[in-house]
Amino acid sequence: MVLKLWNYIRGYVVIRVQGLTLEKFINMCTVRNIYLWDVKRVGNTVLEAKIGIKGFKDLRKIVKKLGCKVSIRKKQGYPFWIYKLKKRKMLLIGAFFCFLLLIFISTFIFSIEIAGNENVETAEIVYKLNTLGLKPGTNRYFINLRKLENQLLLDMNRLAWVGIEIKGVKAKIEVVEKIAPPSRIDKNTPCNVVAKKNGVIEKIIARNGDAVVEKGDIVKKGDILISGIVQLEPIGGSMLVHSYGDVYAKTYYEATKSKGLTEIKKEKTGQKLVKRILSLGSIELSLNKGKVPYEFYIIEKKSKRPLQWRKIGLPVELITEEYYEVNKIKITIDEMEAKNYVHKRALDDILEEIPFEAEILNTQVDFVAKDGVLYGKVTVEVLENIAEQRILQIGED
Amino acid sequence: MGESGGIKKGLAEILELPKDIILDLPKIIMIGNLQIYVENHKGILEYTDNRIRINTKSGILCIMGKNLMLKNIVIEEIIIVGEINQVEFID
Repeated sequence: MVLKLWNYIRGYVVIRVQGLTLEKFINMCTVRNIYLWDVKRVGNTVLEAKIGIKGFKDLRKIVKKLGCKVSIRKKQGYPFWIYKLKKRKMLLIGAFFCFLLLIFISTFIFSIEIAGNENVETAEIVYKLNTLGLKPGTNRYFINLRKLENQLLLDMNRLAWVGIEIKGVKAKIEVVEKIAPPSRIDKNTPCNVVAKKNGVIEKIIARNGDAVVEKGDIVKKGDILISGIVQLEPIGGSMLVHSYGDVYAKTYYEATKSKGLTEIKKEKTGQKLVKRILSLGSIELSLNKGKVPYEFYIIEKKSKRPLQWRKIGLPVELITEEYYEVNKIKITIDEMEAKNYVHKRALDDILEEIPFEAEILNTQVDFVAKDGVLYGKVTVEVLENIAEQRILQIGED
Repeated sequence: MGESGGIKKGLAEILELPKDIILDLPKIIMIGNLQIYVENHKGILEYTDNRIRINTKSGILCIMGKNLMLKNIVIEEIIIVGEINQVEFID
């Protein structure tokens, strides 16, 4: 193999020798230190052999002496290849320019990728970027990324941060959106106060507008609590006002959680089987044969990468899989413990929903055990402000 | 081998020197019937597809077989590949 490669680099020709004293030809070659190899007898008077370039040049004297005919069948090797290339200079130039062109083209941006936007439309950001000068077909060296980031932030006030990164021919844009503050309604705009949540009214303080509900009323989400349409009794007719006020109501939060009363626990028996897998890129080679002889087992995987330096390394990985035999053991969980667990988890869920300034009035927990599973329902009664302003749609009236 | 050959042979035996060097004899190595390697030859006498005769100090080495090919030939050694059936020395 190495010899073949060496011969290829040196260059050789396949010659065909025609003559009556071919043995003499071979002998003379050896005497004159001309290296011949792969000598093949093709016919009675014909012989084929491979010979180096220098050897071929030296052959002339022997040929003259012996009076045999030598013809070249094939020229092989790197020197001939170079020679051919020298003859076809334009090909070389073309290849060079092709390479240059490839590099040049790769400096252009081919696609834009946007990540991190939830409410802002991707198309909107892309459109904005296009108008600012970043679009497919722009050269990466002609745009100032930092400037573009700032400009995009200025133009789109819904974004809090923009990061543009160019990776190869791809522009990756990462955005972080602003969390919009609750919209404030202007003081002169007529509006209603509506319920934010379902609940039972406890207290109503109407600072402006007409209260339309009383204590003890059950309201649903979206029901009008304080109307912005004020009836003018003595005159008759109505006036639109900017109503506002606080409405306190009892609201209920509920959560149901469950937990099995029996649990299967896996316990190692001490039996172990080790398997080694060699992974080359995407190919995985198992170094051990055989199936895992255990019915139940836990697998622990470890992998080693040889010759690794930072992120660069060979795509070779040695994975060691350890199979531990386990016994499955049924464990009955203490009911009190299960109840506590369910209660705590349900409460955790609820507390996340309850607004910070709300006052907890009452909590109630119901447990039901069914088919070996404990269900816990936690209800929390809360007093909170459910008032929310909503602009009056005047057109509807 | 003349008289000097006899002396040399004796000397080689006493001093345990390799005979192929002292006596200028061919060293032949075969790999199965696939390849034969002849060192210290004195030239090729005949070369065809199924018979190769090589001149050596010990006489003519005749190799018979099928599809014989000279893989390599230099002044010191010859490597022949192919299906070798028979190797014999002819005086």
